[in-house]
Amino acid sequence: MNDLLCGRRVLVVEDEMLVLMNIEDMLIDLGCGSVSTAATVDQALALIETQPFDAAMLDVNLDGSSSYPVADVLAERGVPFVFSTGYGDQRLNDAYRDRPVLGKPYRNADLAEALTRVLRP
Amino acid sequence: MGRNGCTARWPCIMSAITHKSEEQKAAEGEVESLRQEGGPFVVAAEETRMPMVFMDAKGAGKPIIFANDSFLKLTGYARDELLGQRFNFLLAPDAEPGTLAGVEAAFQPSCEDSLEVPTRRKNGNAFWAALFISPVRDDSGDIVEHFASFIDLTRHKEEQAQSRMLIDELNHRVKNTLTTVQSIVAQALRNGSNPEVVREAIESRLFALSRSHDLLTRENWEGAGLRDVVDAAMKPFGVANGRSERFVVTGENVRFPPKAALALGIAFHELATNAVKYGAFSGDTGCIRIAWTIEPASAGDRLSLRWSEENGPPVTPPSQKGFGSRVIERGLGFELGGTARLDYRTDGLVCTISIPAPSGAGHE
Repeated sequence: MNDLLCGRRVLVVEDEMLVLMNIEDMLIDLGCGSVSTAATVDQALALIETQPFDAAMLDVNLDGSSSYPVADVLAERGVPFVFSTGYGDQRLNDAYRDRPVLGKPYRNADLAEALTRVLRP
Repeated sequence: MGRNGCTARWPCIMSAITHKSEEQKAAEGEVESLRQEGGPFVVAAEETRMPMVFMDAKGAGKPIIFANDSFLKLTGYARDELLGQRFNFLLAPDAEPGTLAGVEAAFQPSCEDSLEVPTRRKNGNAFWAALFISPVRDDSGDIVEHFASFIDLTRHKEEQAQSRMLIDELNHRVKNTLTTVQSIVAQALRNGSNPEVVREAIESRLFALSRSHDLLTRENWEGAGLRDVVDAAMKPFGVANGRSERFVVTGENVRFPPKAALALGIAFHELATNAVKYGAFSGDTGCIRIAWTIEPASAGDRLSLRWSEENGPPVTPPSQKGFGSRVIERGLGFELGGTARLDYRTDGLVCTISIPAPSGAGHE
């Protein structure tokens, strides 16, 4: 459990089912209140339209397309987010260079640390 | 080449330079005398497949006084478009200051290194070339000309980019696979406390993943047919144990992209594992039918697949959902943008999957 994460509503944008299942479990273990999942940009945008989120986890690469359009909308709404990538030290777009990035695979503790960092008041 | 140079290129070159300085005239004299004295060498410079230009060492900006056919072919210029131009005219207009400084240094007689420079074609496109510049001295040792050769690095650069891309892609695949393994291990530990059970759960899934990888590798990671995905997943359970007559697959070998093929491979592995432990393959009489069809729909063709078990022991729904049902009911539909349902009927498990058909399926 983690006080800053307790009860938080988290959006996870990730296109691989096994990876997603593990992130879901990690977030629930950390005490998050709800975890919503999207495999594509469109699914993610539809979720953001209909429900509020406290934070988000975005895989940079979604089966060949980028999740930046989701990041743009989240940034506009002031929802903090953390990127993840399987491309090692991938360079992010200039607009997001200061955002935290988790290189896959990452540990539960790394995920907690990154989310805590963006949620810290 | 005739001694009078009537058909040779040199006189044409010389006349193409309309405003001749004294230095240029002198340089031309050098070239002319070179032609007279060094006949075969001049022919070599003209005819070689190595693209080459000569510059006047004394003119402002090192003007070009000769370009061989190979160079014209490489860059697309006509000869008279080059003669008299400063050397830097050959470089891409957006060449960085560092490149220009490098070229300047390459003109120094002490410089023995080659330089990679963005070079301009007549059509405005740039390409990378390895540039070598050497001085040409007269009898007294004064540098009167420079000659520059250009090696087209386009293919080399393409191969470099291609191999960079392959390494990046390989790295991506390894990282994704490690992340998948991390999840498989975490799930196994969550769902079992007996070390033997945990080990078995991890191993069988890793081997299933490995068989899917083998299948995709045979297909150059371009995709895999659904029949082949089913076969790869069932191999350790069905055909190998002589149970193939109890295992009937009906459907075209619809090709799925790699990511979808991996997800389907994991799902079939979970279904097969369940069938061996509790379902149709847990006894001697049961059989499994897998059938699929492509159904046209206004929003795009869909693939409807049905896995049905018969003649096995009576089925009771599991008291709690494990990894397999989670992967199938939530994961598969999620990843493939469709639905997957498990129906624990008393006379046999039925799994129905409805997913968008991969593009091109059913129209072959």
